[in-house]
Formats: sequence, C-alpha cells, structure tokens
Amino acid sequence: MKHLLSAASALSILAAASLAHAEEKTAWRLFVSDQAASVVHAIDAQTGERLASFDTKAPASLYRSDSGRTVFAVQGKGDTVAVISSGIAFGDHGDHGDISVEAPRLLDVSFDGKKPSHVVDHGGDIALFFDGEGKVRIVDEANVLEGKPAIREVATAAPHHGVAIAMGDHVLATEPNFEKPDELPVGITVTDRSGAKVGDINTCPDLHGEASSGNLIAIACAKGLLIAREQAGKPAIDFLPYDATLPAGKSTTLVGGRGLQYFLGNYGPSAVVLIDPKAKEAFRLIDLPTRRVHFVVDPIRAKYAYVFTEDGNLQRIDVVAGKIDAALKLTEPYSMDGHWSEPRPRIAVAGDRIIVSDPLRSVLHTVDASTFERTADIAVEGKPFNLVAVGGSGETH
Amino acid sequence: MLRKIGFASAMSVITLSSIWSASASAEPMKVVASFSIIGDFAQNVGGDRIELTTLVGSDGDAHVYEPSPADAVSMSKANVVLVNGLNFEGFLKRLVEASATKASVVELTKGIEPLKMQEDEHGHGEASGHGHDHGEFDPHAFQSISNAKVYVKNIADAFCAADAAGCDTYKANAEAYTAKLDAEDAEVKAAVASIPEEKRTIITSHDAFGYFEHAYGLTFLAPEGISTEAEASAADVAALIKQVRDDKASAIFVENITNPRLVEQIAGETGIKVGGTLYSDALSKADGPASTYIDMMKNNISTIKAAISGS
Repeated sequence: MKHLLSAASALSILAAASLAHAEEKTAWRLFVSDQAASVVHAIDAQTGERLASFDTKAPASLYRSDSGRTVFAVQGKGDTVAVISSGIAFGDHGDHGDISVEAPRLLDVSFDGKKPSHVVDHGGDIALFFDGEGKVRIVDEANVLEGKPAIREVATAAPHHGVAIAMGDHVLATEPNFEKPDELPVGITVTDRSGAKVGDINTCPDLHGEASSGNLIAIACAKGLLIAREQAGKPAIDFLPYDATLPAGKSTTLVGGRGLQYFLGNYGPSAVVLIDPKAKEAFRLIDLPTRRVHFVVDPIRAKYAYVFTEDGNLQRIDVVAGKIDAALKLTEPYSMDGHWSEPRPRIAVAGDRIIVSDPLRSVLHTVDASTFERTADIAVEGKPFNLVAVGGSGETH
Repeated sequence: MLRKIGFASAMSVITLSSIWSASASAEPMKVVASFSIIGDFAQNVGGDRIELTTLVGSDGDAHVYEPSPADAVSMSKANVVLVNGLNFEGFLKRLVEASATKASVVELTKGIEPLKMQEDEHGHGEASGHGHDHGEFDPHAFQSISNAKVYVKNIADAFCAADAAGCDTYKANAEAYTAKLDAEDAEVKAAVASIPEEKRTIITSHDAFGYFEHAYGLTFLAPEGISTEAEASAADVAALIKQVRDDKASAIFVENITNPRLVEQIAGETGIKVGGTLYSDALSKADGPASTYIDMMKNNISTIKAAISGS
C-alpha cells in the first residue's frame, strides 16, 4: 500500500503512454460511526456522498485493516465485532498497482464475545481481544472476506482489559493483574501455535497502548515501552525505559509512523511524545497549547502527524523537527472534562485531505493536507464520531 | 520499467542542489550513505574530510529498512547523499521528501552495465500470482568488484563537485583504494578458478549474487527474489529443491541479512550441508569477518571455496 501510494504520481505520468487501456483512478472512502446511535455510514470522501449505512447492535469503534479491504466495527456494549468490506482493494503487480472499487457491504460474518475492545492487524493476521473473556480470536483477512470464522483462539488467564498481536506463528497477549483484576495488565506473554508459552512474561505494569511502525511494535507500560520485533521467526522483545529528562507521566495511547519509523504517544493531558526507538535520544516531548483530544499520523506525508486540541484547533506536528508547525481552527472548544466517551472530534487522513469529525455540529470538516486550509464540510446525520479512511490510487483495466 | 523511470524522475528533482563549500567552513563535509557497503566506500574516499552517517548499518537489510525521523534529520543536514539506485533503497523517496534535503543525491550505479532480473527462471513472475515490488534491473551491482570501482569513481566525482578544495585528496584516496580493489578482484578470480567447473553451483537465500555470478562464473540459485521482502512460495521452494537436485548444487549458504530458516529447510530436504554465512547486502559488525567491503569479498569467496572443497 505504501509503495503503491508513493508510486502513484509516476504511474499517472506513464500509464497513458505505455498502457493505453489502463486508467488511473483514485478512490477514498470514510467509514463513520455515531457517538450514540448504532450505525456506521460509508461516505465517498471526494464527493461527500453517502454510499451506504450499516446498522450495528451498539455504537461502534472502528478499526481499518492495514490493507484497507476491511473495517472492523467493535461494539463493546453489543458483545460483537461486525466487519464491513470497504469495497476498495489493491493488487500489486510489481511495476504497477491496480485498484478495484465496488460497493461497500456488511459482511455475513461477525465475531461474538464479551466486551470486545482492541483490534490489531499484523501482516493480515488480525487479533480481536475480548475483555470480558480474556480471549483472543485471530482472524485472517482473506478468510473474513469470504465469511469464514476465526482461525484460532488464544485464552489468557482471566478476563481483563487487554490487547493481543499476532506475529507469525506466535501471539503476544496481555497478562492480567491477578491481584487486582480490574486494573491494567502487568505484562506480555508469548504463545506459539500449540498454545504453549514461550519464555518468561515480559513485565509491563499498567500496560495500555499498542502500535506498530514498520517492523516494530511498541507497547506502553508505566515506566517505558516494550519494543517487539520478529527475529529469526520468533518475537524479540526489549524494554525501552522513559528518558529521565521527561517529566512524570506515561503514554497510554500510541500510534505508529508510516513512511518514517517512529511512535507518537500521549504524555500527560497536554503533550505528546515522539518516540524513535533507534535514536540515542529516543523521546522528544511536544507540549500542546491546551489538552489533547485525539491524534493520528499522516500515512502519506511521512513528515506530519496531527493532534486535535480542546480549543478546537487541529495542530500539525513536524515529526522531523519535533514541533508544532501549524494550527488551524476548526470547531468550537470541546472540553476534555467529563466522561471519556462523550462526543468529541476524531481525525482521519484520506489521501490529500484531513478529515475531522465535529459531532456536536453533525459535520465532518475537511482540510487540504498540502495547504493546511479548510475545504468543504461534509454533513452527516447524528453525532459523527469515530472514523477511518480507506483508499488510494491505482490503475483500472 | 514504469517504476524505474518514476524513480529517475524523482531523482532529477532532488538533485537540484546547492553546492557545499569546504572553504566556507572548517567543518568536515556531511555525507550520508544509504547502507554499510556504500559507507565503507565513502570513508575510503573521503577520509577525515568527511563526517559520515550510514543509514542502514552493519547486518541491516536495506530492502526492508524503515527510516526514522533521526535519519531525516541527518539527511536534511547532509551535503552529499550517496545511494545505490536501481530501486535498491525502497525507502529513499519518502525519506528525501520528509527531510526536504538540499543535498546532491548521487546514484552510484550510474555508469555500470545493469543486469536484468532473472525472475522468470525462479518462477517469480506475475504469472506465478505474486508479482513483487521491484524494478527491471538487479540492484546488487556492488557484488562485482569492477562495479565497485565505478562506485568509488562516482563517489570521488561527487565529493569533488561538492568540495573542490578537497578534490585532489579524494582522487588520491580513490586511486589508492581502487588498487586494493584490483588486488582483491584478482584474488577472487584465482579462487574461483581453483574450483572445478562442475562444482560451481551454489544456493543462497535471496538473489543477491547475480553480478558476482556474471563477473566470476559461479551459479547462484535462490528461493527468494531480488528483494528479501519477497517471500518464497511453497511452489518456489519445491521448484528450487528440484533444481538443486537436477543441477547437483555443491553448497548452500545463509546470508547475514535474511532469516536462515528457509535455507535450513532446503538443506534438510536436499542433504546439502549449510556451508556458512555469506555477506550479501550489508557488512558485518566491526568485530565480524566482513566489516569492510574488501573483507566481505575475501570472506565470501573463502567461505564458498571451503564449503565446496568439503562437499
């Protein structure tokens, strides 16, 4: 996908000359869940047209797969995970990429279990974690698209708020806190295909937050990060302690850089931290003007990440310079006071546009990613909340 | 071919650079090399006139390397950036964009005669149903020492263009190093000549030795493609095992940058003993047997020769 996008401009120049029957096509779709209603809307990101709406059992959190072919609608209060085919798929043909665009559809497969929480895609093996059972169900995206069930299950020792990552023949899953089961996990346990534990527990008290960037996975702990990678067919896990120069705090949410290998984490209510595990100075703290609402990385323009702050501004972060380099007012203030799940903006990047949901005004704001200026709003009924973007460019035949 | 032209187009944009002047500063010229072999060439040519940063270090795999923000910072401060080209560094375009570097980005394969990929022989073409993301040509040109001499000349030219005051030094260094390369080239040729012709077929993890094969007359078979990112399918492995038996391969080797499991599987199924580690796309760490390019070539040919002699 990454290569496909970076090759898009070259492909557009050459397609007409070399492949008279091939055309360049760009398609981006937004999948938007409602903060209160049990529905997911599919919207054409370029025209704003609503393509479809899918009813769910409960309000959903959305996760897109790495390939973008599927969107997982996690319904913690509905005890199920529904899967939507985005309708956009890419075929890599070495010297060019093809795009296929069909109608989005709700797949005839769902994964039921108590309190599903996190979805993590690692190389097409997607791990669904069910807090209420302490179980992981590993699904294969290609199978899911054909309506097939989970390929395997891994049980942890007890129900807890956890996460799992499939890594080849192994699964990394959180180890619950036995003494205080309602508290956060205390580490990561690795199991092999037979379900046998591999090695000792990788200690990680107060574990919350996971992301991947390239071949690295980061997992946030109270005092630093576990950094996992595949080495000679097995997971290798190291601990990266927070730098002593950082103020007191920790990350509990991580996102992984695309194009550049780094992680961006929250750190206290009014800051984010850039984490480069390979650098001598692995942590760079970036203070924000107000409290943070949501943050994402730009998967296309590797240099940028975005943070929405409660003053209604979208902050653009230059991850190379390690600082905010632009801000754009988009909404009225959204206070972080109150329950975590109250309606507040979320961000997604769809090609050359940044999309920010504004649930209290029932719109999606769009921003030109190159000029960082506002463009047209997209109206969405209800309280558009969680959103993901899927798409790219390729040839059609 | 589409990808290659696209890359060249990007390069033509990013090589519009400002020229750094050594006379304007007592600081050494800042040079970024994309991977360890190029870094070694650059240090031999630049000596103490340059401050070298190597992105993909020892035992690192440039095919799958993920650059970091710190790499972008190094790139942004560089006066000269040295790369292999021929789509070897898949990360380069996005790193150049993220860093907004004004440095010259010099493709060191300029002037060599590129070899076309030989995928079809190994079933890696589109027809096999898993087309891979690489260009028309094999990028591992540094595996021929005569090509390495072209790399060195290109580096000297790039350094002269960026730092005219040091040009005589760069040229002298390049000349001295080229003499060492010539000696090593003769050594490799003599070693290959001592191997019976019927024993000159060997197996490695990925297709990194096409130029070595072309220059020195050994035949290399590999289960993976040109890029380590392209995993071999079960059909590829089965076809290779058949070919190994038909061609009576003499030895099999792991590489320092790839997972040895596939090679070990083939060794197990064919009865050929793993003959050691070859250094394909990266040097070893300083305390290893291939910490310089010349040591890498010495290590590889001696490892090959020893394994075949013992087979």
